Amino acid sequence: MAPLAPRSGDAVFASVERVNAELFTLTYGAIVRQLITDLEEVEEVNKQLDQMGYNIGVRLIDEFLAKSNVSRCVDFKETAEVIAKVGFKMFLGVTATVINWDAEGTSCSLVLEDNPLVDFVELPDTCQGLSYCNILSGVIRGALEMVSMKTEITWVRDMLQGDDAYELRVKLLKQVPEEYPYKDDD
Amino acid sequence: MIVCVAVVGNQNNPVYLQSFTEADDALKLHHIVHCSLDVIDERVNNPKRSGPTLNETFLGLLYPTENYKVYGYLTNTKVKFIMVTTDLDVKDADVRNFFRRFHAAYVDAVSNPFHVPGKKITSKSFAERVSVIVKSFGSTAA
Repeated sequence: MAPLAPRSGDAVFASVERVNAELFTLTYGAIVRQLITDLEEVEEVNKQLDQMGYNIGVRLIDEFLAKSNVSRCVDFKETAEVIAKVGFKMFLGVTATVINWDAEGTSCSLVLEDNPLVDFVELPDTCQGLSYCNILSGVIRGALEMVSMKTEITWVRDMLQGDDAYELRVKLLKQVPEEYPYKDDD
Repeated sequence: MIVCVAVVGNQNNPVYLQSFTEADDALKLHHIVHCSLDVIDERVNNPKRSGPTLNETFLGLLYPTENYKVYGYLTNTKVKFIMVTTDLDVKDADVRNFFRRFHAAYVDAVSNPFHVPGKKITSKSFAERVSVIVKSFGSTAA
């Protein structure tokens, strides 16, 4: 059977099952609220959100690769483009732009103008250090780890804290070749 | 000209109160809003048989005092919106329109996961939207 051509973000988004955006936003808001009530420390909540995102990411990557039929990425630049255009579109319904590549091509920024997770949200004064969308950084980190790339993701700009867009800095630490659990004995 | 808007919760607890003129005494406006709560309770408990029973959200002119008119709007969750205006000739349609937009802004403010239902609304964007709606009310009525 001839391999299927990679589908564009819009085509995949149109074919997957969708959920009401407000339900999604309110559910995520309730999760964050509950975490804050349970853990009380803003740093702890950030870490938990990242961990939750990581768990989601390691499972999400398989669904993503199955539904979108993207071919193997040649380099990290292509990976970032695929995440921004196909990945975000498929799961959140918005696209991101990739900017600010560094000299070696291992680090870039993903900019989101529109973020469905934060509709209606305003951070109160008691939670100013909260990275409300930290789950997204965990998701990307988990997904990339499953395709042998160790990355570090940080938030550069956050609209809830006064900036004009959401910017994630994605840094490739190393490509981990697949390890086999047994030694090659001749 | 709208001088004051207020949102009162279902247990008659104040949720949002904003006055738009510096000239008038804020206390007097609070007092007017307080009195209008009684009028609303009266209207709600004795529905007029001849009136429409379906859309009871817009309560209309609650009572005219000296130089003010007070309008009320009741949501299905018993949250009351009260608007005090000094305009003498206010069109009914304008007031309904105002309350519709105010209701939309209120719903967005309440959807904030950090807002506790029943507590005061502290959202700055809600305050900004309300002042935009209040300003445009003046221009459409003119």
